[in-house]
Amino acid sequence: MNKSLITVCLLLLSAVTSGCWNLKETNQLAIVIGGGLDINQDGRLEVSSQIAIPAGLGGPDTGPNKKRSFVVVSATGKDFMDAGQNIQTQLSRTLFYAHRQTILIGQRMAEQGMNKYLDMVVRNPKSEMRSVIFVVKDGTAKDILETEPVFDPLISTALGSVQMALGMKPFYYREFLCESRPKGGSVLLPAISIQASAKRFNYAGAAVLNKENALKLVGFLKPEESYYANWIKGRQRALIVSTSGKQNNGSISLRAQGLKSHIKVVKDSNGMRLHIQLSGTGDIVENNSSLDPSLAKDLRTIEKNMSKEAEQAVVKLIQKAQKQYKAEFFGIARHVHNKYPREWKSLQKDWNETFSKLPITVEVHLRYQDPGQTNSSI
Amino acid sequence: MKITGWQLFWIVTTAEVVMAVWLRISPAVEIAKQDAWLSMLIACLLGGAITYLVVKVGMQHPGQSLAQFSQELLGSWLGKIVPIPYFTAWFILSGDVLRSFADFIHLVLLDKTPVWVLMAMILGAAIYLSGTCGITGIGRFCEIVGPLTIITLLVSFLLNATNARWIDLVPVFGDASVTEIVKASFAPTSFLAESFMVLVLLSFVSNPKNIMKKSLASVWLTGILLAVSTVMVLLVFGPTLAQELRFPYFMLVRSINILNFIQNLDILVIFIWIFGVFAKISLYLFITSYELSQVLRTKRWKPLIWFSAPVIYIIGMIIPNESAIMTLQRLWEFIVIPVCALAIPAALWIITSAKRRLIKAE
Repeated sequence: MNKSLITVCLLLLSAVTSGCWNLKETNQLAIVIGGGLDINQDGRLEVSSQIAIPAGLGGPDTGPNKKRSFVVVSATGKDFMDAGQNIQTQLSRTLFYAHRQTILIGQRMAEQGMNKYLDMVVRNPKSEMRSVIFVVKDGTAKDILETEPVFDPLISTALGSVQMALGMKPFYYREFLCESRPKGGSVLLPAISIQASAKRFNYAGAAVLNKENALKLVGFLKPEESYYANWIKGRQRALIVSTSGKQNNGSISLRAQGLKSHIKVVKDSNGMRLHIQLSGTGDIVENNSSLDPSLAKDLRTIEKNMSKEAEQAVVKLIQKAQKQYKAEFFGIARHVHNKYPREWKSLQKDWNETFSKLPITVEVHLRYQDPGQTNSSI
Repeated sequence: MKITGWQLFWIVTTAEVVMAVWLRISPAVEIAKQDAWLSMLIACLLGGAITYLVVKVGMQHPGQSLAQFSQELLGSWLGKIVPIPYFTAWFILSGDVLRSFADFIHLVLLDKTPVWVLMAMILGAAIYLSGTCGITGIGRFCEIVGPLTIITLLVSFLLNATNARWIDLVPVFGDASVTEIVKASFAPTSFLAESFMVLVLLSFVSNPKNIMKKSLASVWLTGILLAVSTVMVLLVFGPTLAQELRFPYFMLVRSINILNFIQNLDILVIFIWIFGVFAKISLYLFITSYELSQVLRTKRWKPLIWFSAPVIYIIGMIIPNESAIMTLQRLWEFIVIPVCALAIPAALWIITSAKRRLIKAE
C-alpha cells in the first residue's frame, strides 16, 4: 500500500513539476526598466516603456562597438495595459514589468489628473510597487526616458539616485499611493525636467497634485522650495543652507544633517493654528564672511542669521502654498487627523481651503557642530 | 500514533497562522481602521476562551477523539450525528484553503499553470504525508515548519522597519468606535477558534500534562503574530490603503527594499507559506479520514483518505469565484464557529459532567 502510494505521488509530481508549465527564459523577455505616462496631442493616453537591451549593458563601456543599452517604445491605448499590448506589437519579446524602477508622469497627464490610473500598478501582480515616481515638468515622460544617462547605463536606475544625492528619501510609488488614498489635502511628488540642449535631465523640484480634485496638477515647487517642503514632511535628511551674505558681506554655508520637523496643531477659542518647528545641526563648510566661528559671539550671530534666513524661506514657501496654490502638501493633514479625529471628519472635505486660511508660525533652529578646518575666513 | 504536547502546539500554530495572517488583516482594517491591531488582541481573548472550552471537553475524555466519545456518551445513533457538522466544516475549510491558495499561486507565480494542477499537486503531497505517517508525520513536519514560518514573519517585519511610518497608527480610538473594534475582532476570532480541531488531536497526545497551557499558548501566539502583522501592515500602507489590498502581508513583503539590494523576497515567503498550507491540508485530510473511520467503527483509516481527498478536491474545484470564498468565510464565522466551537462542545461538556455526577450520586 505504502509503496504504491509513494510511486503514484512521485510520478504525479515529477510529471507536473518538471514540465515547467510556466517556463519563460530570460531571452524571451523584454525587461521594462522604466515606464512613462503621457497624454499626447490628440488627448489620448500614451504609454512609453524603456526596455533594457542586455547585450548593451555588459561588455566594454567605450569603443565603437558599444551598443545602445536601452530602447524606448511607446504606444497609445485606452489604459495602461491596453497600451502595453500595443507596445507589444513592436517587440519580439514579452514585456516583463517586474523590474520597473521608475514611473514618469508627463506634465499634461498630471494636469488631467492621475487618479484614474493608480490601480494597475497595485492590482497587477506582475507589476512593481518599488518604482520611484516623478512628474516631468514642461515635457513628456517619453523625452526623459530617451535621454542618455551620464553614469548609469540606464536613466531609470539613475533617477532614484538623484533624490538620494540631494539628501532626500526616494519617493516610491507605494508611498505615493499611501499618501494619495486618504482624503484631504494634496500630494507632493518629485519633479524632473529635461535640458533641451544637453539631452540630460534636471531635478526640477516638486509637483503638487490636488487630492480633492482628481489628483490634478496644481503647480510646481522650485528645487530649493522642495527641499524645505521635504524637510517639513520629514523626508529630507541633509541640506546645505547658505546665508545670502548681505549683512556681513559674504555668504556662509552650513551642511545641516539630522533634520527634524515638529508640527504642532493647536485649537482654542480663536480657532485652529499651526506651529512648525524645524531643526538641524551641521558643519560650516564655507565661510566667505568676516565672521569667525571660533568666537562665541560670532558663532551665535551665524546661527541666528542662518536660522532666520531658513525661516524666511520656509515662510515664503508656506505663503506660496496658502496664497498661490491653496494646497496643503506638507503632510499636516495627518497631524490634524491625529490630534482632532472628530473634527477631521468634516475638515477633510476641503482641507486645502481650510489650510489656506490657517495662521501658521514657523521656527527654524540651525545649530552648528563643527567649524570645519579653518577658524576665520581665509 | 502519538504526538507530543509541543507537536500539538506547533500543529495548531502552523495551521492557524498561515491563513489568519494571509486573509484576516484587511477585513479587520476595513472596519476598525488603524485600531485593527486592538481587534486582533480582542480576538486573542475570544479565541482563547473558545480554546479553553474545547480543550476542557477533550480532556474529559482522555485518549478518545470526538467521534469516539460522542458515541460513547450519546449512544451509537446520536453520537454519529454529532460529528456531521464537523465533517462539513472541515471538508469545506480544507477545500476552501486549497482553492484560495492555489488561486493565489496562480495569480502571482504560475499564471499559465491551470489551478486544478496546482491543487492536485498540493493535495497529492498531502495524501503522501498523511497516508504514510499519519498525525505523527504531520506533527513532526509542523515542528519544523511552524518555527520557520514564525521566523519568516519576524524577519519580514524587521526588513520593513525602514518603510514604517508611526503616524499611521494614530489616532488610537479616533476613527473607529469601540463597538466597531469589537465587531472587527469576530472575523479573526473565527480563524483562531479553528482550534476546535483539538477535539480530535487531544486523543493522540502522549502526555496530557500542561496541554491546556500549550493549546492556549498556540492560539495566543497566533493571535499576537496576527496583531503584530496588522501593526506592520498599518505602518507600511496606512489604514486607507491596507483595507483595499487583498493580501496585505504579501504586499508588505514585496515592499521590502533595503539599499536596492535586499528585495523581491516574496518568492521566498510564498515558499514557506506553501509549507504551512500543505501542513494544514494534510492535517485536515488526516482528521477527516480518521474521524470517518471512527464513525464507521473500523480500525483502518488509511483507505478513507481516498474518500476524503477527492471530497476536498471537488469542493475546491466547484468553488466558482472569489465571492463564493467570501461567502464561505462568512459561513465559517456565523455558523461553523457558533455550532462546532461553541454549542456542541458546551453541550458535550454539560452532558459529560451531568452524567459523571449522576454516576457518582448512584
